Amino acid sequence: MAEVWIDPARCQGHARCFMLAPETFEIDDDGYGHVIAGREGSYDEENVRKAIRNCPERAIKVIGAEPAS
Amino acid sequence: MSDRTVPQDFDFHGKALDTIFDDYEAMLAEKPVGHSSKYGGFWYISKSDDIFEAEQDPDTWSVGPSMILPGFGTEMPLIPIDIDPPTHAGFRKLLLPMFTPMAINKLEPGMHATAEELAAEVKQAFEADGVVDVSHRFARPYPTIIFSRLAGYPEADWPMFDQWIDDIIYERTKSPETANKAGDDLVAYVQRLIDDGRAGTAQHGIMGDLLDAKVDGRPLTNDELISYGYLLFLAGLDTTAWAIRSSLWYLAGNLEAQRLLRAEPDRVPDAAEEFLRTLSPVQAMARTAKKDTTVRGQEIQAGERVVLVFGAGNRDPEVYDKPNDIDITRENNRHLAFGGGIHRCLGSNLGRKELVISLQHFLATIPEFELAEDEPWHGVGSLRIRLTGGE
Ligand code: SF4
Repeated sequence: MAEVWIDPARCQGHARCFMLAPETFEIDDDGYGHVIAGREGSYDEENVRKAIRNCPERAIKVIGAEPAS
Repeated sequence: MSDRTVPQDFDFHGKALDTIFDDYEAMLAEKPVGHSSKYGGFWYISKSDDIFEAEQDPDTWSVGPSMILPGFGTEMPLIPIDIDPPTHAGFRKLLLPMFTPMAINKLEPGMHATAEELAAEVKQAFEADGVVDVSHRFARPYPTIIFSRLAGYPEADWPMFDQWIDDIIYERTKSPETANKAGDDLVAYVQRLIDDGRAGTAQHGIMGDLLDAKVDGRPLTNDELISYGYLLFLAGLDTTAWAIRSSLWYLAGNLEAQRLLRAEPDRVPDAAEEFLRTLSPVQAMARTAKKDTTVRGQEIQAGERVVLVFGAGNRDPEVYDKPNDIDITRENNRHLAFGGGIHRCLGSNLGRKELVISLQHFLATIPEFELAEDEPWHGVGSLRIRLTGGE
């Protein structure tokens, strides 16, 4: 199962993810993006794909549930 | 179209913007990293990936003495854009909560009301006169009014703000004295706001928040407050005015795009991204090499100035399909209009919202329009349009 993930070291809070897929991403008080707890594995593929391709920091990733090698 | 050579004195301000997209094409095809003799000499970096890498690497690329080239009518470093890590983080953190989508959403009712009012005034102006300057009547006042509200600068002062912006941003390449004089006036104005804030007589807003804020456990010094105030002013007003004006400029020349966006206002956010990518108010920002380094085979020495040409990266054929076409339905649009990395534009949530809301109201209120005369795509100068009579 694939999970969507935001790399906190890269995210600079452009909030593109939140605009394009608000059902999956939220923004904290400092403006940084996070995946809403529990939504990592169930999300709208189309919206998440759009968020990935529009995140200026290339911070959003979809990774396998098993730890990648 | 382009003769495929980059001018020796490549520039990214003023008149040079008339033909800059040809320069970009030449850069990207022939010489993605090169040298310009302008502003004391600098290396330019034009490929999207190289710009991205540089933004992610503040250890190699300092923002000092300023990321603004040439400077903005002041010698003081602007906080936080001219500050490197580790000092940078504390200064930036203060501002972050003030510009989140949630903070900006609070302004939304006012944004709609003001856009509606200004659009109605434009409509009235058309009834009185066949040609209306919508830069002067719409693109410029809109962000200035919204920003004054957010920052806690008195709204009634805004015509004065726009004059300072003209002098500081647009005169600085031609007449540095005018820019410096306006810079001094702006510093005095911000000082007055600070004093009023301390005396408890100011409106509440970002300036008020900054008076209460702490960095490393201490309040901000007077110089730091002035620097913040100065930067907020210069960053928040003309950039958004430019984005609105250049979007209207494009739409005036493309009735089909107007029709599509009028019929389907939900498409305005994607269109706005495309305008930001292709007609961006910030075409480039400067850095200084902290150490000897190499970019795409070009050696750059410690201390040399470098310019990240966002506008060129935004038209990089390796990243975008038909990069020079303005396609308002483009969906994959990871662009550099707001920069990236630790210095990315803090006001992007505000700017985007202002752009989208203003365009939606403008299109809903004003019927089909076209340019009344040839106008440049760039800047915040006049944009005279007339109605086509069609609908
Ligand atoms: S779009 Fe990217 S950088 Fe912006 S908040 Fe989302 S993950 Fe972070």
